[in-house]
Amino acid sequence: MKAAVSIEKPTTIYNDYVKDWKEEGGKVLGYCCVSTPVEIMEAAGILPYRIAALGHSETELADGEMSLFNCSYCRACLQLGLDGTYDFLDGLIETNGCDHLRAMFENWQHIKKLDFFHYLKVPHFFREDSLAYYEGELEILRDHITEHFSIEITDEALEEAMSKQEEVRAKWRELCSLREMEEPPISGSEVISLIVTGSSMRSEDYLQLLSRIIDERKGAPGKKPKVRLMLCGPATDEVDWFEEIENLGGMMVADTLCFGARAFNKTTEVEGSPIHRLAVNYLDNLFCPRMYTEYQKRKEFMMETAKRAAVDGAIVLYNKFCDLHGVDGVLIRRDLEEIGIPVLILEKEYSAAADLGRVKTRVQAFMERIGGGD
Amino acid sequence: MDKGFVMRDGENGFERAIAILDMIGKLSDISDEEVDGAAEFVFPELRNTLLGALELHASRELEVFFFSRLVNIFKEAMNAQEEGKKLVFIPFTFPPEIIYSFETIFPLCTEIVGGAITNICYGQGERFWDYAMGMGLPDSLCSANTIGLIHLFMGPGIEPDALVYNSPGSCNPNAKIHAFASDYLGIPQFILEKPVDESTRGRELYFQYLKKLIAELEEWSGEKLKEERLREVMQKSYQAVELYNEFWELKKIKPCPVPNIFSMTLLILRSQMWGRDEAVEVLQKMVDISKERLRTGEFEAPEEVARVYISYIYWLFDFYNYFTWMEKKGITILGDILAIHYFPEMDFSSKESMLRGLADIAFDYPMTRQMGANQISVKWMEDIAYAVKDLGADACIFGGVHACKHTLGTAAYFRREMMNKTGVPTMMLTGDVFDKRHTPMEMLQEEVELFIDQVISKKKAPKRRRKPAKKAAANPETIE
Repeated sequence: MKAAVSIEKPTTIYNDYVKDWKEEGGKVLGYCCVSTPVEIMEAAGILPYRIAALGHSETELADGEMSLFNCSYCRACLQLGLDGTYDFLDGLIETNGCDHLRAMFENWQHIKKLDFFHYLKVPHFFREDSLAYYEGELEILRDHITEHFSIEITDEALEEAMSKQEEVRAKWRELCSLREMEEPPISGSEVISLIVTGSSMRSEDYLQLLSRIIDERKGAPGKKPKVRLMLCGPATDEVDWFEEIENLGGMMVADTLCFGARAFNKTTEVEGSPIHRLAVNYLDNLFCPRMYTEYQKRKEFMMETAKRAAVDGAIVLYNKFCDLHGVDGVLIRRDLEEIGIPVLILEKEYSAAADLGRVKTRVQAFMERIGGGD
Repeated sequence: MDKGFVMRDGENGFERAIAILDMIGKLSDISDEEVDGAAEFVFPELRNTLLGALELHASRELEVFFFSRLVNIFKEAMNAQEEGKKLVFIPFTFPPEIIYSFETIFPLCTEIVGGAITNICYGQGERFWDYAMGMGLPDSLCSANTIGLIHLFMGPGIEPDALVYNSPGSCNPNAKIHAFASDYLGIPQFILEKPVDESTRGRELYFQYLKKLIAELEEWSGEKLKEERLREVMQKSYQAVELYNEFWELKKIKPCPVPNIFSMTLLILRSQMWGRDEAVEVLQKMVDISKERLRTGEFEAPEEVARVYISYIYWLFDFYNYFTWMEKKGITILGDILAIHYFPEMDFSSKESMLRGLADIAFDYPMTRQMGANQISVKWMEDIAYAVKDLGADACIFGGVHACKHTLGTAAYFRREMMNKTGVPTMMLTGDVFDKRHTPMEMLQEEVELFIDQVISKKKAPKRRRKPAKKAAANPETIE
């Protein structure tokens, strides 16, 4: 039996992979939201970089622009934008994910004045008219990148990028199925680590990494978790936190996170141009509480995930002042508890060390309540 | 405390508010002594509402008239279902004339319900807010719509047939609490999203969205929107627009002849009454009273100390200590973000042309226009800067609301750019629109007084010529 190899935690914003890419003359575009099709950037030969804070929770500069009533994750990301950490980016793509995110992008651009700054406007529901608009938005993005970087984005290049991304999604699903096993050979925090790592890599390189990890872990010995947990919530890259939670004896065998299963839950088979297919797949499969009249869709995704992974309990985790996740949390708790899955709701600040002790105590108590604590 | 003021069997906050409002609406000939007497008799929260509305003569003349009209509309809402109509809740950013254009659907503004509960019921909206917190809802939500909707969860009382909201795209807390109420209570929801796109493409999409919403409401209600009815409502709406424009012009005059509390009245008119006769009647009265004050030179304070623009929204849990207090101090409130309306030229010739006009009105509706803009910070600052210049404001007061992450996230830019572009300083405060527990009104008063004394009064005072420096004395001991 093979021994499990360790998976490196992403902690550096301007990591070696991105440095090498830049040194070879490559362009990097930052984006934040999973509603941004990375395929368009990849087809342009650009490295898509999903903005993250990777545990850096300082916000002094950002607090001069945004208020303390704004999401600490957005403020932490803005801080890294303002202090120069993200100066390696060749541009930014804004999306209207939420009010906090919009404020973050606006302040970033007011101060840094990037040459390439594009606003990709994403509708708040999936319907024929909103789809047509979003499709138009993707065309505008494609044109803007083409014009600014003088790179033609052909349909062929898009097809290739889409096919690679689909391979990535398939690998992620495979990874998640390993995590859902009775004795998972990979932990929840390792899966999130890998997803976060991949968010600043080209798909061709990332696929190699994923294949290697999956091959190694497939035959590796697993460990039966004391408690099987599902983590629900927003975009968060706090791998340290997830490790701490798992160190208490529970394992995150499933998630509905934005840096997680929400990003690759489903692929919709559809005919048409590459941009049309991208539009359908991104807008229809956006399982985010920013989408209105679509709670039922999110609920089905969550229920299916919980049942498939046979979870004992769920933790809804979100940053203070996040109304979208905070409100959805009430519905999630009601619906999961109705089918016998206990739920713990944890409101916290982004990666705040001061919050960790409190969170651990609550998770510990929760696990004791559902019968798996030490 | 008289139990009758609290809540009676079978009543909820809204019903209680109507009962008390009904009494106020009948006080047409009340004297100063009777106002004082009534204020002594009631609990503090209602006292502040009564005094805010009735203490100053000009306010009293309008507000009694206004409350009597408002209570009639509330009663209509209460009875709508019995009369075979469907009752829908709409947020304060939704033009009610869209719903009034249907004969069988009646709109009730969520935040006006919340405001009525807050300003009229014993304990304000606190029990409703606390109930929401008890359900596990985040305390970062907006009290204005949370109070207005959560009282539905507690029952008894009115039960809307649907929620129609247009905040997706411009305000997360507003949109989310409406969606939540629908999902939780199983009430149908209809939405009108604001694309964050001011281009022709964005406006056209919005028009298509509006037509889709109308079609959905038609299917749901079984009523086809009639062109004649739409025209009738839109014509009334535009009668009000003419008066609104006149009202705006009156606010430019120094000292301002428009009483402060009229700004609050305008907000309620726009959110609940627009498209009806009552909006025209009340606005006409607002204009008439202001003109009369202009003619007689009536002004509550010895002088107009400052003309302030509330760069976001008023705090609406204590009319007396906000509107009246500032008026007595000689501080004129010229408006807030909700007072800036853009009404296009209306083409009444066809249903299509009127719907297109309505789409433009809704697109540029206060808050939707700024917070649903391509750039919140820029559009918000530009619009307030326009009002500041046009009305001759000396200062801005940003009474931030902790729920409003869009403005709080861009307020630093706003203050900086407002100063750069207009030279007008902004005072920054954070509190809550309906919950006094967040930041008490006394704190606002202290801050405003300091701001006016230290910044505005000095700025307005004539500049003193500097005395020439004395020549250095040969003998240092002679220097005083």
